[in-house]
Amino acid sequence: MSTHEHDSDHDLAARLRALPPERSLPADGWARLSAQLPPREPQAAPVPADNVVALPARSRRRWWLPVGAALAASLALYAVAPWRHAQPDAPVPSTLQLQAAAMTAQYQQAVASLPAGRAPEWQPALHELDESAAQIQAALAQDPRAPHLLGQLKRTYALRLELTRQAAYAAESGLTT
Amino acid sequence: MTRSLMTCCAALLLLPAVALADTQIDERHNLAAGGRIELSNVAGKVTVRGWDRNDVQLTGTLSDGLQLRQEKSANRVRWEIEYPRRNNNGGATLVLNVPRSVELLLSTVSASQDISGIDVRRLQADTVSGSLSASGRSGDSKLNTVSGGVIARLQTPKLDVNTVSGRIEAGGGVSGDIGAQTVSGRVEVDAGRVQRLAVETVSGSIDLSAAGLAPGGRINVESVSASVNLRLPRTVSAQLSVNSFSGSINSDAGQVERPRYGPGSHLDTRLGNGDGDIRIQSHSGSVRVRLDR
Repeated sequence: MSTHEHDSDHDLAARLRALPPERSLPADGWARLSAQLPPREPQAAPVPADNVVALPARSRRRWWLPVGAALAASLALYAVAPWRHAQPDAPVPSTLQLQAAAMTAQYQQAVASLPAGRAPEWQPALHELDESAAQIQAALAQDPRAPHLLGQLKRTYALRLELTRQAAYAAESGLTT
Repeated sequence: MTRSLMTCCAALLLLPAVALADTQIDERHNLAAGGRIELSNVAGKVTVRGWDRNDVQLTGTLSDGLQLRQEKSANRVRWEIEYPRRNNNGGATLVLNVPRSVELLLSTVSASQDISGIDVRRLQADTVSGSLSASGRSGDSKLNTVSGGVIARLQTPKLDVNTVSGRIEAGGGVSGDIGAQTVSGRVEVDAGRVQRLAVETVSGSIDLSAAGLAPGGRINVESVSASVNLRLPRTVSAQLSVNSFSGSINSDAGQVERPRYGPGSHLDTRLGNGDGDIRIQSHSGSVRVRLDR
């Protein structure tokens, strides 16, 4: 530490000790402050309180906030919801139809992951299965509460996947004629 | 003229060479009682016959380039025709003689399978486009094709047949537990007394007949667009339930009912004491139930 720094610290400590002790607020401080403020505009005469219920000022002024928020939320929901373009009277999909749609998506994903074997013995059956799946889906659209159609669709997809696997294996192994 | 004669002579000279290219096989194996026989081939024909011997025999002709691969043990024999050149040249024509009480597993692609005179513990036959015909006795029978037709004249207490477009024709003593599934293939079953008869198709028509329903037995038929005909004896005891979305229902028993609003029709009735269950569901195919067998 240098001599110059030491002198500065000593000087600062001396000045701190020389400060006056803690001061308390004067008792008439607010009164003196109020007298120095500019005069306020006169207020309207108070309404008699016997026939009107006075609402809090905040509620009266900001009633539009929740209503506006709800409206904005509704508009936003309408704008982003996937069914915004649906007709008002469009039928709601049944549980079976939702299950069928989910099953179809999974099936398409699974079949796309398989190699497309061109084994000729399997091709007519694969085509037949695709047509049958479309036929079952059309039937399900007509009768969306028929569990046996979902079972048929499941069986058809399972068979299609199995035969696709077989066809790919046969083409790869040369087990075709 | 001379030129034609020379061509004929050349062809005649080549014939023995072509014949020599085929391979004759004659294999035998002593198999323990209840053992398993497996045979796999792609093209050609497989004929299976039952015989009263303890050994199993495979004879036949392999086209040029084909090879027989075999694995043998006391309880099992496996024969597979290999096609190394990816060219079948007509495939293999095989005859398999099998003893009683064995397990028999056959697998082909386009080769047809002709099975008769067998008396086996279990039969499983798979083919893709080949036809499949099976007769004899089997403790448990499973027949699968893709487009090939199936004719099953088996005395079997358990039969399961699956095809995509192949036609199924089952009879000749089939009874007990029967399952038949197709996508577009027609199904015809003429059964004895059944404990369970389950048939499913998308568009292949269904003709079923049974001599009786075992106590507590079940018949379940499902179709999308195919017509369904079921024929049973008048004495059958079961609860009959038929549902169709747009197909007609015609039954010798019960009353067809339709909802006041909307499509569909159904029939629910009790046959005899209502012991078993018969359930038929069709989306658009017609349903006919006859009680005159």
